[in-house]
Amino acid sequence: MFSLLGGIFMGWSLGANDAANVFGTAVSSKMVKFYTAAILASVFVILGAIISGYAGIETLKGLTSFGKEEAVISSVAAALAVALMTAFGLPVSTSQAIVGSIVGIGILNGQLNFTGMGKVVACWFGTPIGAAIVSIILYKALAYLYNRLNLTMFESDVLIRIGMIIVGSFGAYALGANNVANVTAVFVGAGMLSVFNAALIGGVSIALGILTFSRPVMETVGNKLVRLDPFSSFVVVFSLGITVYFYTLIGVPVSSSQAIIGGVIGIGLIRGVDTISHKTLFNICTGWFLTPFIACLFAVSINYIAHLQYVPHG
Amino acid sequence: MLSFIFKKERQVEQLIYQYLDTFKLSQESFSMAMESCFLNDSRCENFDFYIKQTHKYENKTSDISDEINNIMYGKTLIPDSRGDIMELLNEIDTIPRLFKDILYMVQTERLTVPDFIVDEIKELVRISMECCELLIRQAVALFTNSGEVRTLLGNIDTNESHCDNIERRIVAMIFDSEIDSFRKLQLKDLVEKTGRISDAAESVSKLINILSLKRRV
Repeated sequence: MFSLLGGIFMGWSLGANDAANVFGTAVSSKMVKFYTAAILASVFVILGAIISGYAGIETLKGLTSFGKEEAVISSVAAALAVALMTAFGLPVSTSQAIVGSIVGIGILNGQLNFTGMGKVVACWFGTPIGAAIVSIILYKALAYLYNRLNLTMFESDVLIRIGMIIVGSFGAYALGANNVANVTAVFVGAGMLSVFNAALIGGVSIALGILTFSRPVMETVGNKLVRLDPFSSFVVVFSLGITVYFYTLIGVPVSSSQAIIGGVIGIGLIRGVDTISHKTLFNICTGWFLTPFIACLFAVSINYIAHLQYVPHG
Repeated sequence: MLSFIFKKERQVEQLIYQYLDTFKLSQESFSMAMESCFLNDSRCENFDFYIKQTHKYENKTSDISDEINNIMYGKTLIPDSRGDIMELLNEIDTIPRLFKDILYMVQTERLTVPDFIVDEIKELVRISMECCELLIRQAVALFTNSGEVRTLLGNIDTNESHCDNIERRIVAMIFDSEIDSFRKLQLKDLVEKTGRISDAAESVSKLINILSLKRRV
């Protein structure tokens, strides 16, 4: 159990950070109360992890074959990379962190599955682009319907609020289904956990992060990252849910932060406005590039330190 | 069928209509005081009563506005629109305040209107009241999404321009006359303040139009 702590810590920080992507806008704009959002997100993250999380777990597990020690090292390295990037205020993807650390260990033990790796990295690029395309299509279609409904101010408000709860829950489901692999897949690969137990422990640790530490992130990230009108926010979260769920179906863990950024950029393109500042975009891109490298470096370093041996002098 | 979901929102909606009804009452009371009383040959005995009524309704609009504010922010209702609703009510609030100020000005300064501008001022008040009525319709159109908002903005704008012309004409007539200079200034002040009613109505009307446009995606 002690050896799973790295994974649980990873799940906790993932929950604390990434729940803001699905419910941050709704909570920061007071459309949904924090506790409603946190409880819904926790329940749906666990459901997503248990029901649909196995595909991602299988993919990450297949990237390399780990022993127990290597699984713990890669998990701790990824968690440290996430913590470091968060401390520097850079947006971070736990998917990239865990894959970076798996690559680090895989290089050392010479058992890296490059075919699976190619698929994962291709999907990293596909996430923001896919989310942008989905958000453009969704915005066009839903705006047409919304304008035809001819709702009053009050009806529109209630409808968007209910919509936010539904797409937020769907986003949380997709997040749990997709990202649970980042938390516990390495332990499945090392034979320490069954797929079901990995999904359950991963889901619960993400939910724990949401319930205990997501409030400040939800309240700040919702305002800081996405300053959109409620309808656009609804579309962005919906496109996040669809994109992340799509990658869940093909079994690749992706970043919900990248998906939401893609969605926001899509809205910006369609409305002809800058929805995101150049500085924020630069920070995001830096985070995206640095995360896997730093995690890889940590994994190699920790592995090296773990194998240092005391050699007494003559 | 789904009315239970909208229960609290319905409460705010009802209060907004109550606010608009009270606004209409203050307008009618002002209109009675000005047209039926003050601008007739001799000031009728009900003038003071109408002033009190106008003041009472002006206070009531503020109270309802506060109640709406408390409900919306206290129960975290309509987060998307509450800022817009409060901005709108605050803007509308300026009009009953103008009604009250004009009537108190007439009362405290013991104003009387010389015969040669009575008809012109009556016309100014009549069109200003028409602006207020159109404004109420436009506000209702915003909340019911009836699609009349832009047409009513056009009508209010036309009436406001008409009021401006009448206002300038009356001021010119006042200064062309032989009446006492101090009285000229008093009457000019009265005419300008009355003219502000249509200005305020137009300003609120433009805000309603913006809020209506904002709701389209």
